[in-house]
Amino acid sequence: MSSTETVQELLPAEIDETKVGPDTPWLVIVWDDPVNLMIYVVMVLQKLFGHSREKATKLMLQIHNEGKAVVSHGNREKAEADVARLHANGLWATLQRDSAT
Amino acid sequence: MRMGYGQRCSAIRLHEAGDLVGERVTRHDGKIDLVLHPDEIELLRELATQTATVLIASDEAVGANPVRDRLFPRAYDDPTEDTAESEWQSIVHPDLVKGKATALGGLLDDLDRVKTGSGGITTVDLSDEQMSTWVSALNDLRISLAVTIDLTEAQQEVPPSHVHAQGFAAYYFLSYLQGELLEMLTGPLDF
Repeated sequence: MSSTETVQELLPAEIDETKVGPDTPWLVIVWDDPVNLMIYVVMVLQKLFGHSREKATKLMLQIHNEGKAVVSHGNREKAEADVARLHANGLWATLQRDSAT
Repeated sequence: MRMGYGQRCSAIRLHEAGDLVGERVTRHDGKIDLVLHPDEIELLRELATQTATVLIASDEAVGANPVRDRLFPRAYDDPTEDTAESEWQSIVHPDLVKGKATALGGLLDDLDRVKTGSGGITTVDLSDEQMSTWVSALNDLRISLAVTIDLTEAQQEVPPSHVHAQGFAAYYFLSYLQGELLEMLTGPLDF
């Protein structure tokens, strides 16, 4: 499976898959945790990534039901910046190369 | 992730403070009035001060303080990226500390503005911006307390005799309060 196909398979439908390619190999993962309220996670995803309420809710439910979700992607610098913004808001986030997922 | 704890927390806290039964958060004139019991105000002060202490010592070694480690988790899961992790931490950590400390400071400042009205009811008025600050600060308080009381997916409740029973009650109160403010800010979650 190619790198692009791997990313596309992992990405939630809300993310623009046309922007995914070999030059954007880093994924930002938000992990489920027992503390953060669902409504809080939705608010943070809306605030940080500009999602609609509906899209943010779908992403939150993916995190909750599957234990994690890819919330953004890009080069290492962008992924590190997104992780920092998520940590600033108390979400448990990591970054990794798409091939490591 | 958790749904709100409104019902359970209301039962715990409002039973202890019978004069607070009713709406806790009401909006008027572009602000909200938040009703708090004096014990709750003291609890918020105590927890915010404790968490601020952890922030001050947040440059201590990873693994030395589990609360610190949860407030400032690793960015890289992959241990072969330790160099990148260290570089990332050195760049972002001061700003993360500053942001969390600012939110806690905002909460503490607002608690100093609490007014006592008729019937001894204590309230604090908050703008939307101040509510957002409270939501952020309350989240860090909940994260810190959850680590301290060992709250996990498997252990969401404890019996009254448990050593952390008071800590769990405090955690549910913080969850209730954060949920109320979030619903006021963003509307209820609908799915």
